[in-house]
Amino acid sequence: MARPRAKPGAGAGVSLRGSIAFRLAVGYGLLLAASMATLSAIVYFGTVGVFEHSIDSKIMSVEARLADAWTSDGRRGLVREIDAQLHDLIDTDTEVVGVVDAQGHVLAGNLGRWYGDLPPSGELGFGQMQRNGTPVSVRLIATRLDDGSRLVVGRDLIELDAIRSVVERALLVSAAMSIVLAFFGAQIFRSRLEARIGRIRRTTARIAAGELSSRIVVMGNDEFARLGDDINRMLDRIEALMEGVRHVSNSIAHDLRTPLSRVRSRLDRALQVSADPHALVADARLAIEDIDSVISLFDKLLQIAALESGVRAGTFEKLDLAAIAHDMTELYEAAAEEQGVLLRFAGRPTTIRGDRDLLASALASLIDNAIKYGRNGGRVDVDVGMVDGAPVLTVRDYGSGVPVEDMDKITRRFYRVDQSRHLPGNGLGLSIVTAITQLHEGTLALRRADPGFEASMVFPQP
Amino acid sequence: MPNCLVIEDDTETRDYLCSGLRAAGYAVQAEANGESGNRRLQETRWDVVVLDRMLPGQVDGIGILEQMRARGDGTPVLILSALNSVDERVRGLRAGSDDYLTKPFVMSELLARVENLSRRNTWSRDATTLQVADLQLDVRTMRVTRQGATITLQPREFRLLEYLMRHEGQIVTRTMLLEGVWEYHFDPQTNVIDVQISRLRSKIDKDFSPALIHTVRGAGYVLSAAPTYGPSAR
Repeated sequence: MARPRAKPGAGAGVSLRGSIAFRLAVGYGLLLAASMATLSAIVYFGTVGVFEHSIDSKIMSVEARLADAWTSDGRRGLVREIDAQLHDLIDTDTEVVGVVDAQGHVLAGNLGRWYGDLPPSGELGFGQMQRNGTPVSVRLIATRLDDGSRLVVGRDLIELDAIRSVVERALLVSAAMSIVLAFFGAQIFRSRLEARIGRIRRTTARIAAGELSSRIVVMGNDEFARLGDDINRMLDRIEALMEGVRHVSNSIAHDLRTPLSRVRSRLDRALQVSADPHALVADARLAIEDIDSVISLFDKLLQIAALESGVRAGTFEKLDLAAIAHDMTELYEAAAEEQGVLLRFAGRPTTIRGDRDLLASALASLIDNAIKYGRNGGRVDVDVGMVDGAPVLTVRDYGSGVPVEDMDKITRRFYRVDQSRHLPGNGLGLSIVTAITQLHEGTLALRRADPGFEASMVFPQP
Repeated sequence: MPNCLVIEDDTETRDYLCSGLRAAGYAVQAEANGESGNRRLQETRWDVVVLDRMLPGQVDGIGILEQMRARGDGTPVLILSALNSVDERVRGLRAGSDDYLTKPFVMSELLARVENLSRRNTWSRDATTLQVADLQLDVRTMRVTRQGATITLQPREFRLLEYLMRHEGQIVTRTMLLEGVWEYHFDPQTNVIDVQISRLRSKIDKDFSPALIHTVRGAGYVLSAAPTYGPSAR
């Protein structure tokens, strides 16, 4: 048994970190957040960034024009140009233009009081300035003119700040929303997954507890339904195998117990009646016979195991199935006749690849069965030939056959049809024949022939 | 007294083999591993060797056998193996063993086979006329007579009788008969061989005396003019 695990059910005992559903959902949420962040970055730089850029280029073009005016017309031309700039009714409430002398006095323009230093000459920078009684941030450039005064061109950033704060608030809200959604999504995702898995786990727990007939209820046609189907099929197979093992061990126990207890009582008796050496010898002989039957039982079980596990193609050779059938018919003819059964062989040379001795022993077993169980039919036919392109070896009797309800059980190990329990045998014959047929990649087809019973070893097409 | 070398690592099996073979009249020596067994094989000439398939150490049974055959040693070898599979039998026979028996084995089967091997040199495979008491068999003309009267046998009955006559006075088991006459190697389980023998018996023994084919209980059959096979011989 595995180490004790959490009770099955809706995720009880599984930590959040351990929950695959939770990890999937969190992963999904993180992915969502990452794509949101990318989108936000694009939106932010698409709005605020573009706006900043357009401010900068406007400042630069105004500055260039004013600098031209200074170069061509000197201070007077510059002042005129500044006035024109401030009264052109375009952006006049945000524009900042002016000239400051070396001592910091404003010589022209709409410059208010500013704080701190101006940025170095010719470079765009930020500054703080008093405008209409309120301090504002200003983007500006201060160009040093050749008389020592400085030309200041800039724009206040009220509009930009407003836009920036709107965009930022929107992004923040959406980020928060996406985190909340991802979290609840994860929870829903997780609980739905766990509900489906829980159904499977509850069933497997019932099976682990010994309720082998329990099956997963399959609904729909999704991955879980298919998984459930697969597990159910696997359980069917395991149940059948376990049933087989149980049956086999019961049968072994039974088949061993009988001869062993006989041996024991014989030895017991032999010890008590110490007088007669002949009786002792006879008892010892019978005891050996009983033990031999036990050994032969084990030999057969081992043979089946060896056949079922064996890759034997190494000793396979081309051989004529009809020749083997002919030999075995001849071998059993006399024994059949003794039972009042006419054993006949018909067939034509049919080549397959196989092991001669194994095929002979399988056929011998089938003929033996046919004589033993179909004796009242008075006739057993052995046939070899091609059926639908496949080599087939058939043994058919005309006896009372096998009851319908036993048909699918007779190849099981130790299975014996009720009406034949009085006959010698241990119910391993057909198991061995099946194993030998399968080793030759063939199938053993059993059929109620009415009257009688027919067993066919169907080999693969050459 | 024929001598027999047993190479077997399992103490119990070795003792069982030795006592069984000694009781059957063999001078038995035993070795427990491949190296010493191999030495012993080269020191002495043996009539028959019983060799375990699996041995501890460097050389296993098959290895010893291959070395024997490689140096031209044709001593009859019976391979003994717990590996109950046709594959293993084929491998053993390919390596040059003369016979193969799987464990657990019945002592009578082993003795019959060992005797068969140790006598191999004494009876002629090529003899074309065989005679046991007043029973004669001519391999070439397929004619069988007893006390001068011709007995008609089916081909397989003829081969069965031939096999028994070639192994005159020697126990042959049912599986040996299936191997020697029908050339199939499997355990027939049922009484098919007994039925075949009883057929043959009805032809060569029923109208004549003494009976030549005797049943050896728990072992097999023996064809012999002398009814020396105990109270169980019919």
